[in-house]
Amino acid sequence: MSETSVAVPETAGAAQAYILFGVAGTTYAIRSHEVLHVEMIEHVTPVPNAPAFVEGVVFSRGQVVPVINLRARFGFERAAMTQRSRLLVVQHGSRKVGLLADESREFIRINDAAIKPPQEAIGGLSGNYLEGVATLGQRIVLVLNVREIVEMMPTALA
Amino acid sequence: MSGSDRPFADGFMDDYFAEADEHMVAVRRSLLALEGALGSALPSGALEELFRSFHSLKGISAMVELREAELLAHHMESCLRAVRQGRLTLTSTNFEGLVDGVRLLEHVIAARRTSASMPDIDPLVDKLEALGRTGDETLPIDAPAANHTSANAPASDDGRARRWRVNFVPSPQLVERGVKVDTIRARLMQIGDVRNVTPKVVPGGGISFEFDVETNDEAQLAQWQEDGLSYEPVASAPVTAPAENDAGAAPVERPLTDLTLAGSSNVVRVDLARLDDLMRLVGEMVVTRSRLEDTLRRIEAHVPFQEWRALQDHNARLERNLRDLREGVMRVRLVPVGEIFRRMPFVVRDLARDNGKRVHLELTGQSTEIDKFLVERMMDPVLHIVRNAISHGIETPEQRIAAGKSADGTIRLGATTAGETVIIEIADDGRGIDVPSVTQRARALGLVVPDDGGLESRALLDIICASGFSTRDEADRVSGRGVGMAVVRDTVEGLGGTLAVESRPGRGTTFRLTLPLTLAITDAIIAHVGEQIFAVPQTSVREVIEVDASLLHAFEHNELMPYRSGTLPMVRLAEMFAIPTATRPRYHAIVVGTGQAAIGLIVDRIAGQREVVVKTITDPLIRVDGVSGATELGDGRVVLILDAAALSRTRRQHARVITGVSA
Repeated sequence: MSETSVAVPETAGAAQAYILFGVAGTTYAIRSHEVLHVEMIEHVTPVPNAPAFVEGVVFSRGQVVPVINLRARFGFERAAMTQRSRLLVVQHGSRKVGLLADESREFIRINDAAIKPPQEAIGGLSGNYLEGVATLGQRIVLVLNVREIVEMMPTALA
Repeated sequence: MSGSDRPFADGFMDDYFAEADEHMVAVRRSLLALEGALGSALPSGALEELFRSFHSLKGISAMVELREAELLAHHMESCLRAVRQGRLTLTSTNFEGLVDGVRLLEHVIAARRTSASMPDIDPLVDKLEALGRTGDETLPIDAPAANHTSANAPASDDGRARRWRVNFVPSPQLVERGVKVDTIRARLMQIGDVRNVTPKVVPGGGISFEFDVETNDEAQLAQWQEDGLSYEPVASAPVTAPAENDAGAAPVERPLTDLTLAGSSNVVRVDLARLDDLMRLVGEMVVTRSRLEDTLRRIEAHVPFQEWRALQDHNARLERNLRDLREGVMRVRLVPVGEIFRRMPFVVRDLARDNGKRVHLELTGQSTEIDKFLVERMMDPVLHIVRNAISHGIETPEQRIAAGKSADGTIRLGATTAGETVIIEIADDGRGIDVPSVTQRARALGLVVPDDGGLESRALLDIICASGFSTRDEADRVSGRGVGMAVVRDTVEGLGGTLAVESRPGRGTTFRLTLPLTLAITDAIIAHVGEQIFAVPQTSVREVIEVDASLLHAFEHNELMPYRSGTLPMVRLAEMFAIPTATRPRYHAIVVGTGQAAIGLIVDRIAGQREVVVKTITDPLIRVDGVSGATELGDGRVVLILDAAALSRTRRQHARVITGVSA
């Protein structure tokens, strides 16, 4: 997996804005420019016969958006939605997809230098979605590759 | 030649493509009109229109620096000038050259649009250039055409065109068959010049249209009598022109040119995206109004009756206004189905020639209107069926004669409106689908085929639409890759329509595509299953019935109930979608499909009928069989719209074990 290089723009060493969110006790980060908006979420309509990690669909700003349950996606037990649950609507190509996280409250800048490629020893993942690992003081933040998360599964479902 | 090196022109490309499309439509129309008249009097209007279209194409192509298109258009324009000046005879060979040029031009524009590689235009350009230079040939057109600067120069050809007074009386029956005054006008323009149209009130209150037509195709007029036409020759030209003979009727003004201009001067071209926006807004208003209605119902008990009554009246009026508005916007989106048909004569002509067949194409109902969105998506399916009809359906002339038929096969392409649906029929009078061969081939592919020989048409359709199926051993260039009919059916059903086939051995095959008039807003039945709510478009619902659980008969993988004089296979949505729900003594069922394909969808209860705004589902994560779209009922929650046809298909393909039925 280490060949998954971090896409560093010309301004190496610069900082980029990220949105942080939590899933099952772990903190993840997505580049903020890939996130259209973060919403509270009440009701998700299940879609019969969709892939298991698809929670269902919601309307987001008038558009039909699929909701990926990140707990299910990352192999955790599903949890009931709470007041803190958030939907991160990400844009990938022409697609808009919602990512259901346990919570999401932080918007921070991370210096590119602080993000290291994932170690070789990290294995057993269901995809190349882990783009890097950032250490912020005591915290460990996993930087996600939106494309891998959004694109991976349609083939599996066909 | 990618788009990137032309940043300046790129800003105009969308406009260019839209405009080029319009000109190409005109080009095709004129070419067809000319082809019909090869070797006789060329209709001056068509010649003129073609010339003008090439001229415009040349101009706009130059503006966007699409040099290949500019060159082709330029040389074809020159050819036409040569024809108009009488330097060049439009023989069928020369005409072929133009047709090739037009096809290449289309190709060039398409290549630019998709940033594909440019085709090589040089050989054809050379050929066209030579044609355009032709100057020494004998004057084929007897009139001193060069002296005429007006549009009508070539019309004065051999004087065979006669003037007719053609009368058309519209009737509901005719409209049902898609024959309207526009249809008639379009037809007449195909065979000659329409000089004038006068609407007249007939005794009894109806209306009729009198066309003043110049044509030499009396046979065609005679044929159209069954479509409400009557005609009589005009004894002598009523206007000026001391006619040499009564038919000569020298062109007086610029009839067709004027007519065309008049037709387009008050037309606005609108980007479809803007209409979509408008439709979306109307959709939002519909949703807001239904919220208003919910609120009204809730406050009824708390508001003085008089006040409430007034509110209710306003609400009712708002609903009517919204319906009108919706219909108005919808109507703007409607375009004549003729957009699909227009290409067909070309396809038929080419394919028939390539296949050594003789095919006559009959078009009816071109003016039948359908949503623009649907027109674009129906093009390929119709094209595919027409191709199949030529390559598989229609026999060679020898075979036809041997079978006691006319040497020319006929393909009838027709469109009609029926309520909220549009029906497109593609019928050939060919050999019909070869059932034994289809059966054999299907079995070889491992498909289940009933043994009783006579394949019922629905089963036949299932087989020819199975993916990978093709009755020809090698997929030929015409019919493509054997995935065709599967794609056709998926497309039609994906749009909320249905596909049916009828085939009679030796007599021909008819495909019938039934499509909703528009997609954006539709009436739907709202059904509850457990906690979930679904919407089923009204157009696909045959009826809603109440089902007593004791009437359901379960046996392996199936459940049936008595229905009318027979039985109806039943599908429990709760089972199919794995929705937890309690067993009930009574259910509601939605009957969808017809004949052998009919099924009953069992739901907990029906909550009524609503107008819903259809949002398409495009994301692959949630595109599942049986769900065609999504809507909301006013509370912001997504309600899935069921695709009844797909459900019954899924049902047929993977029957599930039905459990928990009270015996």
